Amino acid sequence: MSEQNRAVQRAVPEQLERALAAEVSLRSRLRHVAVGLAGGCGAAMIAVLWATEPNALPTHTQAVFAGLIAIGLAWTVFAGWVLSRRRPLFARDRVLSARIALAATVVTALAGVALAGVRGSTADLVATAAGGVVFTAAAMLTLVRARRRRRELLRLRDALRQDAP
Amino acid sequence: MGSDGLLVVRCQLGEREAFRELVAMWHPPLWRYVRGMVGSPHLADDLAQEAWVAVVRGLPRLRQPERFARWLFTIARRMVTDHLRQTYRAPETAMEEATTVVADDELSGVLTTMQIEAGLAALPPLEREVLILFHLEDLPLASCAEVLGVPTGTVKSRLHRARRMLRNHLAEKGYEA
Repeated sequence: MSEQNRAVQRAVPEQLERALAAEVSLRSRLRHVAVGLAGGCGAAMIAVLWATEPNALPTHTQAVFAGLIAIGLAWTVFAGWVLSRRRPLFARDRVLSARIALAATVVTALAGVALAGVRGSTADLVATAAGGVVFTAAAMLTLVRARRRRRELLRLRDALRQDAP
Repeated sequence: MGSDGLLVVRCQLGEREAFRELVAMWHPPLWRYVRGMVGSPHLADDLAQEAWVAVVRGLPRLRQPERFARWLFTIARRMVTDHLRQTYRAPETAMEEATTVVADDELSGVLTTMQIEAGLAALPPLEREVLILFHLEDLPLASCAEVLGVPTGTVKSRLHRARRMLRNHLAEKGYEA
């Protein structure tokens, strides 16, 4: 083995450092969280608008609405795939993302309920409120689980620090 | 669990500076293993980088931080196996790489760890990897068995055969084994 090879073996190559810096980037993770939430919340709002429309919509308008909902959901699925496979969230990232998701869900649910209250029937209002409650509860559960996982890791980290010489 | 476990837990928490420390600690042994298996240092760089990317992506799901070393080498082994599978489909490339390694190592005159590492290039992959994991990476038998996915008894017999092959190879090259 040459001297050059030994030098390479000792150090962490710059290219690897750059690649790993991109891999662990918090900004990239939050961007995908935002994209996923925007897609999902946008699709939900369009669905409420469509459902509370007082008159039957023309076919092409329905197609546009369906297309927009599909696009929003596609962005959510894409972001979910990235966050589960390519940029998985670490414990702190999960807590931060869950807080953002909870805020986005609450705002969307309130906006949806307001829209349904103004434009739709009582049945629309109840359905929208029920949907909002379900999604908000799911976001809260995600936040609770994320905080629990972070607490476990913090306890483990502190215990290991105490054990360390 | 030790400092490795602490670093892994800090990474799982999302402390970005801990990743740098983890990589600084584990890249040299990982690289040495990959380099021993594939021969070329440049290829080892690429495969080690792929392994690290897989490690970062899988780290949040690692439930037992104390098993990090075994997990790391299991991932690296998968990368190496995939690579070897591809090179065996194109034998001329493998031959070129092997020749380069041997030619490099004939330059120095004394028997060193480096030359033993070079001697490894002459061994078949199964024997080579067990020697690297057990002797160069100092993994215990149980960990080697886990990384290789075979029982401990198989690791022992493979180690025995590998040592004999390496001894014969070094003796053929004129080194004291």
